[in-house]
Amino acid sequence: MLFVTANTFAQNEIKPERKPGHTNQNKFKQLYDEFATPNMFRTGSGAPGPAYYQQQADYKMDIEIDDVNARLYGNETITYTNNSPDELTYLWVQLDQNMRARDSKTPLINSSGIGPATSGSRAARTYLKERFDGGFNIEHVQDVNGGDLPHTINRTMMRVELPKPMKTGDKFSFNIKWWYNINDHVRDGGRSGYEYFEENDNRIYVMAQFYPRMAVYNDVEGWQNSQFWGRDEFALPFGDFDVNITVPADHILDGTGYLTNREEVFSKDMMKRYNQAKKSYDKPVMIVTEDEARKTEKTKSNKTKTWKLSAQMVRDFGFATSRKFIWDMMAVKIGDKDVMAVSMYSKEGNPLWEQWSTRTVASTLKSYSRMTFDYPYHKAISVHAPMGMEYPMICYNFGRPDKDGNYSDRTKFGMISVIIHEVGHNFFPMIVNSDERQWTWMDEGLNTFVQYVAEQDFGEWNPTALSPGQDKYPSRRGPAKNIVRYMGGNQDYIAPIMTKGLNTYQFGSNAYSKPATGLNILRETVMGRDLFDYAFREYSNRWMFKHPTPEDFFRTMEDASAVDLDWFWRGWFYTTDYTDIGIKEVKKYAVTSNPNENGKKLAERYNMNPNDLVYFIGEGDEGYEVAMNSSVAMKDLPTVKEYIMDNFTPEEQKAMKKSPKYFYQVTFDKPGGLVMPLIVEYEYADGTTEKVTYPAQIWRFNDKEVSRAVASEKEIVSITVDPDLETADVDTSNNSWPREVSESEFDKFKNKVKN
Amino acid sequence: MKAISFLILFLITPYHSFDEVKHEYYVSVTNIEYVNEQQSLQIISQIFIDDFEKLLQERYDETITLAPDNNKTNIEKYMERYLEDKLKLEINSNPVSFKFIGKAYRDDIAYCYLEVEDVSTLKSITVKNQILFDVFPEQQNILRIKGLGKNKSFLLFPDNDNCMLNFN
Repeated sequence: MLFVTANTFAQNEIKPERKPGHTNQNKFKQLYDEFATPNMFRTGSGAPGPAYYQQQADYKMDIEIDDVNARLYGNETITYTNNSPDELTYLWVQLDQNMRARDSKTPLINSSGIGPATSGSRAARTYLKERFDGGFNIEHVQDVNGGDLPHTINRTMMRVELPKPMKTGDKFSFNIKWWYNINDHVRDGGRSGYEYFEENDNRIYVMAQFYPRMAVYNDVEGWQNSQFWGRDEFALPFGDFDVNITVPADHILDGTGYLTNREEVFSKDMMKRYNQAKKSYDKPVMIVTEDEARKTEKTKSNKTKTWKLSAQMVRDFGFATSRKFIWDMMAVKIGDKDVMAVSMYSKEGNPLWEQWSTRTVASTLKSYSRMTFDYPYHKAISVHAPMGMEYPMICYNFGRPDKDGNYSDRTKFGMISVIIHEVGHNFFPMIVNSDERQWTWMDEGLNTFVQYVAEQDFGEWNPTALSPGQDKYPSRRGPAKNIVRYMGGNQDYIAPIMTKGLNTYQFGSNAYSKPATGLNILRETVMGRDLFDYAFREYSNRWMFKHPTPEDFFRTMEDASAVDLDWFWRGWFYTTDYTDIGIKEVKKYAVTSNPNENGKKLAERYNMNPNDLVYFIGEGDEGYEVAMNSSVAMKDLPTVKEYIMDNFTPEEQKAMKKSPKYFYQVTFDKPGGLVMPLIVEYEYADGTTEKVTYPAQIWRFNDKEVSRAVASEKEIVSITVDPDLETADVDTSNNSWPREVSESEFDKFKNKVKN
Repeated sequence: MKAISFLILFLITPYHSFDEVKHEYYVSVTNIEYVNEQQSLQIISQIFIDDFEKLLQERYDETITLAPDNNKTNIEKYMERYLEDKLKLEINSNPVSFKFIGKAYRDDIAYCYLEVEDVSTLKSITVKNQILFDVFPEQQNILRIKGLGKNKSFLLFPDNDNCMLNFN
């Protein structure tokens, strides 16, 4: 037997825990992985590439509104041009009104519950009333020779089989005949429809999505045939529209496009006033006065009139018609062209509408044109309706005083803001035609941002619109501090901006306010106005009358400014991280040439003569008090003085910076995930302040903490991070040194009430 | 413990605040925080002014308008009455009533400040939150209870309007 004793086990060694490997998690990582690869359709610089294409859809329509039954009858010829390199075997046509069909699935995708009590009207409407049947009734889908085309309807999308495949450059025309029951948009909701007025049994029609229309086919999605559930809006190709609309003869109508038969439908008086309006740049001219409208709405004509509208290079068509309309117009100079600013409203909108609507339209066109490109269409209309929605050249806006003509600030500014917002939509997405079905924020966020700029302009150019005590327009969305409530809130109910709208909570904040605020932060803090405005204009001009995707926007903003923005897009758009930056610690130091024990040891360690070194002694360490009290300026320390005399030329000596006496090591920490520039305000003992912005890249090595050595000839008495609230910091309780002890929101309010 | 109360988010603005008429989500947010040093429960309820106005008009007086208030004392009385009906609290399994401190308007939201005083020990809080369920069946209410190191959120809706948090 052989005993082998081997010292097999190790002495009780503690093996160091080895961390697992990781991928690049740095917040400054470029967005190569997230972005689509640049290609011939969309370049790496964010511009349309050499193979960029877009389809075209032209419409010739005859429409009739049956005012008695609130029904629309339509007949259209759609001519579709395939500019893609692909062969198409079928076309997709959008049938948006089908989300209001009796068997629509839209109501089925929401949670519903039963409360203990409700009003009689609500109970009746919810449980007893037969659902409104608002879907399209398609009478036929035919080729131009009258032959039926096979087609399949999948709720809000219809597939039409092409008799033969379409190759690049081919055009295909087909006819659709349809009718549908127009919805009461006040009671049942919707982005179009009618509002009913019991007073004289009248309606105001604000029409849109009233016709079967082509879906978008592009290089990114193929066919954008995502269903219309009711929330995400529209993706539409550009084209030309020729629309003849027959309505009761006493109606006033306006819509997308040129009114080509004005002489037929205008009275002599209206023509005279119209010609006046074309030359009126400072105030609106009434084409139809309130008195005239009040008279017209009392009776009903049983004759009809046909209004002919013709529009080129638009992505949609809307029109409004009613016998209740008052109509005013004004000219506004955009670039070297005149554009007509137009408003249509009933007496219920006055006095607010005649005062401000058309002026707001004109102001908006000027602001947006400055930020992007000269408004290319010939008119912009604002129509009074209890909703807010946009179409090319026409939009529907709320803002109604009470029946005595009184209105609150909330109503007034609500109206002005919505008009600015909806008219602004002409730019995004009507002309910079992004896919709203997929990316709500690309038009809503960009538009809400420019809206903020336009609102501030409006307040400056129209001080009489402001209320006493206000020195600028009370914008709700835009400034960084206004988004703190959303971003600092419950993470369970926040989604990243780069999420399809249908699926997000807090839709408004997510798709409107947060992207708008992000752009404002870029403009005011990260890039500065010059660089931002140039890049924003570049994006707008590159994609005017084209279809951009998010990457095209992100890439262009960098391409045109030389400011690295990947960290910003990544944090602000792709995550729900928030900003929280603060001061962790401030340590004071005194400078001296007399070392304390530590200093001597340090000199010894490096084999240096202790008298040759300059020492910084921290507050609380041995020798600090002595050093602080002897308070010698740096340049007067013996070793430093010697160096200066031996090594600085007389010119350099003269040009020396002011000698610092006070030294601080300031440690900033970042409990919040977002990277932001570190904006610091130093306040000195003599009351002066100095603001320093450390670029965001300061966080590139340590996402949680950075330190700065600060040398100053004046004593620093307080330090504040982000003093002007530019970074959407959700918790400012850690932003000051010395730390401010502030009351809670609740206690503040309670104390206010007590006094 | 420093009484830091984070203001919880505000949610979907009422229909006429952006281009959408029918908004699928109606939400309110109520923040309940136990402040040890003051032995009280501080409650801030955030309700959209438009929704609240509609509710007060339907339930109490159709002439009411909010922000500006057309009859401040009455309005606050109605708000207090409504919240007493719809926000029921139990502390340590005993029903408690709160004091209505006041309200403030900011942007489109009405902030209602309520307080339950003399809470010397906190073992559990039970809340039944039915705010706006009577007007909007699609209403959802976020409730956040914070105190003694605990912090929990609840999403309540008509068929689930009750929640509880234990502090043991």
